[in-house]
Amino acid sequence: MAFLPKQSLPEYRRLLCFARNDIKLLEYNKAMRTVQLFITCLVDSFFPEVGEAMVDVLRRAGADVDFPRDQTCCGQPTFNAGLRAEARQIAEHTIRVFESVKGEVVIPSGSCAHMIRHNYEELFADDPTWLSRAKALAARTYEFTEYLVDVLGITDFGARWDGTLTYHPTCHLHRGLGIDRQPRELLANVRGAEIRELPEAEDCCGFGGIFSVEHPELSAEMLKRKIKNLEATQSPTLVVCDAGCLMHIQGGLHRNKMKQKVVHIAEILAAKQS
Amino acid sequence: MTPTRFKERIRTSIANEALQIALDNNAQRRVNGRIAAFASLPDWKERRQRAHAVRADVISHLDEYLNQFIAKVSGNGIIVHRAKDAAEAVKTVLEIVNRVGADGHPPLPKLIAKSKSMVSEEIELNHFLGAAGHRVAETDLGEYIVQLRGEKPAHIITPAVHLRRHQVGQLFHEKLGIPYTEDIPTLTNTARKVLREVFLTADVGISGVNFGVAETGTLCIVTNEGNGRMVTTMPPIHIALMGMERIVPTLDDLALMLSLLPRSATGQKITVYTQLIHSPRRADELDGARERHLVIVDNGRSRLQHSALQEALYCIRCGACLNACPVFRELGGHAYVGDDDSIAPYPGPIGSIVSPGLLGLEQFGHLAQASSLCGACKDACPVDIDLPKLLTRVRAGNPSSKKQNERHDGIGLSFMSRIGLHAYGVIASSPRLFRLSQKLAGIGTRIVSPFSQWLWIPSFTGWGYSKDFPRFATKTFRERFHREDTKGAEIFSKKKEERIEEEPSKVQSANGVGRFTEELTALGGNVYRVSKAELNDKLIEFLKSRNIDAALMWDQVEGVDEVRLTEAGVRAVRSVDPTLKAGITGAVSAIAETGTLVIPSGKGQPLSASLLSETHIAVVKSSQVVLSLEEALLRNEVRDASAVALVTGPSRTADIEMTLTIGVHGPKELHVFVVDG
Repeated sequence: MAFLPKQSLPEYRRLLCFARNDIKLLEYNKAMRTVQLFITCLVDSFFPEVGEAMVDVLRRAGADVDFPRDQTCCGQPTFNAGLRAEARQIAEHTIRVFESVKGEVVIPSGSCAHMIRHNYEELFADDPTWLSRAKALAARTYEFTEYLVDVLGITDFGARWDGTLTYHPTCHLHRGLGIDRQPRELLANVRGAEIRELPEAEDCCGFGGIFSVEHPELSAEMLKRKIKNLEATQSPTLVVCDAGCLMHIQGGLHRNKMKQKVVHIAEILAAKQS
Repeated sequence: MTPTRFKERIRTSIANEALQIALDNNAQRRVNGRIAAFASLPDWKERRQRAHAVRADVISHLDEYLNQFIAKVSGNGIIVHRAKDAAEAVKTVLEIVNRVGADGHPPLPKLIAKSKSMVSEEIELNHFLGAAGHRVAETDLGEYIVQLRGEKPAHIITPAVHLRRHQVGQLFHEKLGIPYTEDIPTLTNTARKVLREVFLTADVGISGVNFGVAETGTLCIVTNEGNGRMVTTMPPIHIALMGMERIVPTLDDLALMLSLLPRSATGQKITVYTQLIHSPRRADELDGARERHLVIVDNGRSRLQHSALQEALYCIRCGACLNACPVFRELGGHAYVGDDDSIAPYPGPIGSIVSPGLLGLEQFGHLAQASSLCGACKDACPVDIDLPKLLTRVRAGNPSSKKQNERHDGIGLSFMSRIGLHAYGVIASSPRLFRLSQKLAGIGTRIVSPFSQWLWIPSFTGWGYSKDFPRFATKTFRERFHREDTKGAEIFSKKKEERIEEEPSKVQSANGVGRFTEELTALGGNVYRVSKAELNDKLIEFLKSRNIDAALMWDQVEGVDEVRLTEAGVRAVRSVDPTLKAGITGAVSAIAETGTLVIPSGKGQPLSASLLSETHIAVVKSSQVVLSLEEALLRNEVRDASAVALVTGPSRTADIEMTLTIGVHGPKELHVFVVDG
């Protein structure tokens, strides 16, 4: 069975049956795309399984996935705090790391993608050399769901999740990058899943990086509201596209001994059964 | 460091239940109102970009536009003063006020009727006028309430947003001696009575300015209650305070801004009163201030203009970012305090940029850390100011400001966060250190929490205040990742081509009069469509039904036969008399898309005819109906008049618990006769 990818045989059969049944199915062109993962400091350090799910999904889409070993962080924590010298230092490192490799850079986090696409420009505004290097990186940087839907043109990964899913559009993804349709399309195609809308969905969960540490009381109130809205949906699972928000909301749920789980969309797309 | 005062205010605000209810209501109502109002403006995205471009152009050529504007304003007979800072602005106003009636009248105290002006808050004008022995009465209902309470406004648009009706009832009971009531119309009516006296006897009226139009020298003031019209019409002297950035180049640009400002501020297509002032009362006119002064205030704006926070000057003070902000929703305006516990004149997202920008990073810079940078403010901004970006610039110490060599980045950060992030800066720029730290943290947190993936951490860490922290992975992603050759790609459906279409604009009523009627009726106005022949009969019938036997009337209202009115027992009065029950005016045009009457002043056309009485009756020909505000502003009558009132419905307020109440300072009823032919 060495010639088969990771999926089990029954899984393949299911996929093939599914393929035969759907007239809209087309084979994805097998032009090899190299994807450079920028896995982000949070996924790397706290949620490696999100990274694995992402790799799984990208490989199934035919991408040649690579991971530049020297990567660390995009610099967002320091940038948002107003520590620009530190942010620059980290950003320069990130630019150097990804300049040394070819292919599109894909990030499982809206806010980190937003950092590279928008804030690097701000950070290097007074340095033409670095600015052009930053812009070159920004031009080939994509958020995960954006890459799947807009670049690869795939909205259905044959994923299966039996249960209710509720989507939380995270701030930098939705407002910062204008990405909302893509994750929703991907979720709409998950078999077995019932999508239930989150009230006041677009409200911030109160993370905001350093904000959640500097202003714990404010952050707590915002989180409380987000959790209350999640409770109102009675959905057991909240889907996000950002590890920061995942960590924040899940941290709040755990503190309150609540059962709901926050998952990254990659974990849903990689799921074959619940 | 976040000042402890600010921390305290945050805690007390969150613990204040009445405040939380009031702010939640405000957020919900205002945000929904704004969204609904923009639904009636199908090209709003394009307008927003245009408005951004207009403001950007003005701010980058501010000196030229200001010179053009000042030349026009002075040419129109308004006395222009420029003040470089708060002290100078206060001094200028005091000099004007002190001079009033110096011949004969006792110099003190002067009664000053004031309509809302955020600049006056910024320069603390009331404090200084009071200290000089004058009596200032705020006349916007919300401002009046906070003034009675000895407070500052809690919101730039709705000053009493933090209060609930029982608090206002108690306040009026204590301060005005009325029996305690929670009935909002009764409370509003009480304020109307008290403040009516103020309008009629004030020596000076002070207002703000929403926009100054460079090409025409127009001062535009928008209000709903009518107090803005009162303070600029009734007292003999009018002083307008204007931030120097409030310029738009043309009347066309003004129309663009006016399509965005009320929608963003209160969810209205247009405010009830939009006033355009060009000059003092002319010799042949019955009312309007005899002397008008314009005080153009810099107070840090030039400095802001040449700093990285320049874009903050694009702001048109609609308050939409306050309503959209999840932090403002917890705090209200009074919690935004400086390190000396003084309340920032401008709160919320824009305030956290403008307050430190104008008054000093040292005093207010820390406010910018009180944001999750969620971007709801940017989304809500009608001129598309990138507020999150500007907030990060404040945090970074306004990087391109003159004091570049002073290192005060990370403004407002606590000591621990600063140390932690400095260390992180070093770690995250070195892959080896980064991996080592991950390893240590992985082992460390595993020891601390061997069984649970989530760690309880104490409150003082900030994070631990309301949430648990994830355990570091003992095997990080980088250790798990192995490169593999891609095996046969699976089969997937191609994405369907999809076009996102804007909602088609609502088919507008082809009939201008129909649309006008629809819009005005929705706002509580009454419209009667009559033929030329039946106008006088219908008008008399109406007046009789209301027992109106005298009305302040324009010298000539087209189609109205004064002889017939007199025969019917209705006296046409030609002097400003506040006891009259009705005023009868014409209009130069009527705007269909907003239900607005355009009423210029002039000889035989007193402004108070549409302002002082409880009932305002207007007569307009159907041929005078135009579709848009842009069109209406093109008319020469508008450009040439000393003042123009754009009237959209009866006077209204929503300053108490956002409950709409009709009839504050202006007329309580508006009746429009649209004459065919």
